[in-house]
Amino acid sequence: MPIGNAQPSVRPVPAGRTDGAPAGSAGRRRGAGPRPVRRGSRAERFAPYVLVAPAILIIVVLRLYPLLLGVNFSFTGDGERNGTTVGLDNYLELLDDPLFRTALSNVGLLVLLLPVAVAIPGLLATFIYLRVPGHRFYRSVYFFPAVLSPVIVGAIFNLLLAFDGPVNAGLEAAGISPVDWLGKPGVAMFVVVGVHIWATFGMALVVFLAGFATLDAALLDAARVDGASLPQVIRHVIIPGLSRTIAFVAVTTMVGMLTSMFGLLYVMTSGGPEGSTYLPEYYIWIQQGQMNRPALASAASTVLFVIMLVVGLLQVKLLRRAGGED
Amino acid sequence: MKQRALWSAVLVVGLATAGCGSASDTGSSSSGGSTDKLVVWDWKSGEPSAGPYIEKAKADFAKKHPDVTLEFVAQPFDQYYTLLGAAIQSGKGPDVMLFNGGGQIRDRVDALVPLDEYVAEDKQRLAGWDAFAKDGKTYAGPVTLQGHPIYYNKALYEKAGLDPASPATTWDKFLADCAAIAKAGAKCFALGNKEGAGIQFWMSALGSAILTAQEYDDWIAGKRDWNSPNVKRIFQLWKEAGDAGLNNEGANSTAMFNDAFALFQSAKAAHVIGLMSDVGHWKDFNEFLTPDKLGVMSAPVVTAGTTPSLAYDGGIGYAVAKWTKDPKVAADLVRSLTSTDALNAFYADAGAIASDTTIDVSQAGPAAATIVSQLKNGKPALHVALSSKTLDLMGRIAQQLLSGSISVDEAVKQLGASDQAG
Repeated sequence: MPIGNAQPSVRPVPAGRTDGAPAGSAGRRRGAGPRPVRRGSRAERFAPYVLVAPAILIIVVLRLYPLLLGVNFSFTGDGERNGTTVGLDNYLELLDDPLFRTALSNVGLLVLLLPVAVAIPGLLATFIYLRVPGHRFYRSVYFFPAVLSPVIVGAIFNLLLAFDGPVNAGLEAAGISPVDWLGKPGVAMFVVVGVHIWATFGMALVVFLAGFATLDAALLDAARVDGASLPQVIRHVIIPGLSRTIAFVAVTTMVGMLTSMFGLLYVMTSGGPEGSTYLPEYYIWIQQGQMNRPALASAASTVLFVIMLVVGLLQVKLLRRAGGED
Repeated sequence: MKQRALWSAVLVVGLATAGCGSASDTGSSSSGGSTDKLVVWDWKSGEPSAGPYIEKAKADFAKKHPDVTLEFVAQPFDQYYTLLGAAIQSGKGPDVMLFNGGGQIRDRVDALVPLDEYVAEDKQRLAGWDAFAKDGKTYAGPVTLQGHPIYYNKALYEKAGLDPASPATTWDKFLADCAAIAKAGAKCFALGNKEGAGIQFWMSALGSAILTAQEYDDWIAGKRDWNSPNVKRIFQLWKEAGDAGLNNEGANSTAMFNDAFALFQSAKAAHVIGLMSDVGHWKDFNEFLTPDKLGVMSAPVVTAGTTPSLAYDGGIGYAVAKWTKDPKVAADLVRSLTSTDALNAFYADAGAIASDTTIDVSQAGPAAATIVSQLKNGKPALHVALSSKTLDLMGRIAQQLLSGSISVDEAVKQLGASDQAG
């Protein structure tokens, strides 16, 4: 309890700078907005709308309008039925397509793997914070993969994980039978997610380290004096102290997994083996580019958009709750 | 204060119009449309090896239409059909564009001009028209021929104690040869089925040795009986070859382009079903294995009484878009791009079997000569007759057959359903 009470009084300033920047500045603007309205002339009252107009216009013209066009397009047909209204046919076809169902269940798998993707940078950041030997070295090395493009990462792991590649050679030398890492449907998706985590955890690690900077060292010392073990320190001091950082990393990691795995999939598995590594993004690309089914691809895009909207709203809610607002 | 608001309003309007203006500008510049300029989209013209070909074609076209300028836009092949799909959807785009034969062009004929009246003179000289035709109309002029010869490594044959001059002519003999090759430490087939392309090559290379002539012609004509024992045999054989360990290990995670070809080039496998043009073909293999050690064999007979033939179609060809101003001028460009001079340059520099049957290939080594000699009796490839959707499904099913998670009966059932629906 004392910890919980101490937090809000200490937190707001650094938290506003690190994690909650957009929310904080929005709040300030909202607070400052009404004041000039009460005092100013008509022109001044008009000014804020004029100033936000470019941003709004760009969003409406280049984002919302195409989005509506896309949704509208998803209710039309492909090929011979091009341009005619087909109602929900495209959506029914999606539901009927085992490939799209695989893509959706893979999204579910990503959500399930999210705790792992957050825990890995969290744990590594904890070790760096606790100054394990060589922590300075690790700090820079861990960030390194984050600067590589997914295509390069994919190519590297394609070589490493090839059936006759070095990883299997190592396994064989150790007397373990080789694994077809990218050729077994049950394994490939986990491998790709693993590679994605490897490639991106550096960014989350930096966020965690920033979060640690705001952690009260006195609490850690107190826990140690009380004889707490490392797991106990993590469970009772670090996790509660970093709850906002954890929530923020969870949100950004989820968005990253849903939106930026295309490059890896394209290079590493091409959606295979047996279609087991399809994600909605990849499905949309295949339908539009390879199968010449733009309307079906639009329907899949609309479904993906709705999923992202739901996930996004849930995450905003999560962030708010963790941030203690409302 | 008032002035500031006014200025911001001006700024907003200015920004907004500038935004719209630039958007529509780029739209019109890429659309071509005018008759004094033709825009060509392809994925070839950017490659240095295709340079002489494009130059020859341009020179030929300049003779006919000196006042028309040409703009070749080389798109990345990975995104080619995505970009083209967007162009077709908007009804604006290049005047002339490159297509792969088969499904890729047949799915998009709504956006193309039938070329029959313009290219009548070329019909005899060029081969491979069928891959660019739908419902009796021709939509593109063939540039290269693409097909699936079975290449073999004569050095490995010698090492295994086999006669490189007489490869197996029956499937049983072929399996015996594979056993000898395995003893010599190499795999029988280099197979890459990561993209699902392995099964397409397999079907087309061996099809003529499995299906009867009647079944083969029916298949190409669109009357495909997926329940016939011989069609099942294609997939049965694919599975058996995998189970018997004829392929390199990890075929489902090996990319055909170019890991499987690399296995063949590095003599880790004795055979590969390759291509005739572009990549994975005689010119690539000649470089690694030397022309004397590279052989091309006919498919070993699986079903008694069949006569194996080379499977090939038009590989790539240029088509004319519906929205071009003057189809005659655009069709003339297609004719220039398929002129003998231009194609001769393409064959010599890019290493393609060109569609022009009058080109002399005797300099290119025995493998290319064998391929060209087989063209006369060749037939369209089986997989090219299938829709992209069925091919995509077939790729996944082929992976399942190799991993053992589907039976052959179930496989042909699903493929038949997809083929009938498409």
